[in-house]
Amino acid sequence: MPSKSFDTPFLATPDTLEIRQAEHPFSFRNSKDEKLNALIVDAINRMGGVGDDAEENYRRALNSLTKRGPGVLDVIVAEYENLPEDSYLDRWSLVQLLVELRYPEAVNPLNRIIAARIPAEKLRKSHDMSTVAEEVMIRTTAVEGLVRLSADGVAEARDVLLKYAAHRTFSIRRACVQGLMQTGTDDDKRKLRRLLKERKEEALLKIKQVDVRSVPQPIGGRFVVPAQVKREAPPPDLRATKE
Amino acid sequence: MASCTYTVPDKAASGDNFYGAVICNQAYVDYFWNTYGFSGNKAYWDDGWGWDDCCNTSKPLARAFNGCYALTYSASDYLNDSYSAPILNWGRRYVRENIDDLRCFCGDGTAIARSKSGGLVEVYLGFFYSKDVPGRAETLIHESRHQGGKPHDANFPSGSVFGSGKSGADSSWDYEGAWMYGALYLWWYYAEGARTTSALRERARQRGNLVIDNAFATHPGFSI
Repeated sequence: MPSKSFDTPFLATPDTLEIRQAEHPFSFRNSKDEKLNALIVDAINRMGGVGDDAEENYRRALNSLTKRGPGVLDVIVAEYENLPEDSYLDRWSLVQLLVELRYPEAVNPLNRIIAARIPAEKLRKSHDMSTVAEEVMIRTTAVEGLVRLSADGVAEARDVLLKYAAHRTFSIRRACVQGLMQTGTDDDKRKLRRLLKERKEEALLKIKQVDVRSVPQPIGGRFVVPAQVKREAPPPDLRATKE
Repeated sequence: MASCTYTVPDKAASGDNFYGAVICNQAYVDYFWNTYGFSGNKAYWDDGWGWDDCCNTSKPLARAFNGCYALTYSASDYLNDSYSAPILNWGRRYVRENIDDLRCFCGDGTAIARSKSGGLVEVYLGFFYSKDVPGRAETLIHESRHQGGKPHDANFPSGSVFGSGKSGADSSWDYEGAWMYGALYLWWYYAEGARTTSALRERARQRGNLVIDNAFATHPGFSI
């Protein structure tokens, strides 16, 4: 570990920041069922869980929501549509919820989400921030929902995947092609190959989903810190040892 | 000096609510502060950035600590940070060996973070408020790779969401640049991430695929 100076008082003036706390991101304008609203909020909260029981807690929240049946889709979709455009992560979390619930009735809303025009880039000067990238991730997650429904045998999902195999955005096309090749019928795959041939995009078929262990891995770091200098991290859950 | 204000968005799906409850422990605060380049930079993390309120996940420092927690503990065998292990294990080691100073600034809205000379990495508002928790770990690894001597060496490909033809891409996966390190970290997080949820792992997958599809001049030919 590099030797560091103490936190010397600063002579210049660094940046200052003022935080304003936002209201709850969801309005539930169209849903008066407070119990259902609370279940949706809980499931989304649990998406960001951490700890050895994070997944278990998330699954439990999803199960509670699933018991309410496909009627929950209308509420989730209404919330998605009511959120401000720049609430990218909140919008993504609602789409992820649609994906997890795996209701066949979700095909239409997922179709609408993918079909919606992607607004022009708002951060043109940036190389690492992109509003288009956020929009694309929302849509590729919606594609994942269709892929899961296609795997469940929902024919309409396969039709939508075929349609968006010609989407203007590369990542969306690529996700649809891979999803349909994995879950579609022989007939779907024939139609897909024909479409890609017409569009001269057969190269998309060569991009394979693979296991992370099979791709080239980087060769470590520049330095090796002597073992006696290395400081070990504390255990991951100190709450377990707290009084 | 710049002054900025920010309205804190939802903390749920980003992971900040739950990570925040965990990192609020002096042992973690000390470890992260002394390990990942915060030490010596108190002045930057003061004045609204959270130095005096480091458990408050509305503020940047706690959100940075959440990213550091994910970076440190997302491998089930996190104590093994050997470079022969997956990047999920040694990402934390690479960051601590390459970032000497981690400083926060308002920024001008055009970058999440920037790597400067001499081990200095600057992080801006977007790092805290538009990135989810594993995404912040990805950013620290990306910037560490620049410190490790790999600048971007190509322009973004045609149709890239990052801007066709703009500079800032890596030429290929084999270049082993910052985009490769970040994408590979997310890939391992998706495949093997511990102490997290399938939703955050799916988020990592989506972001990883976006990077693979859009940040290399030559597409690597595979996806997550």
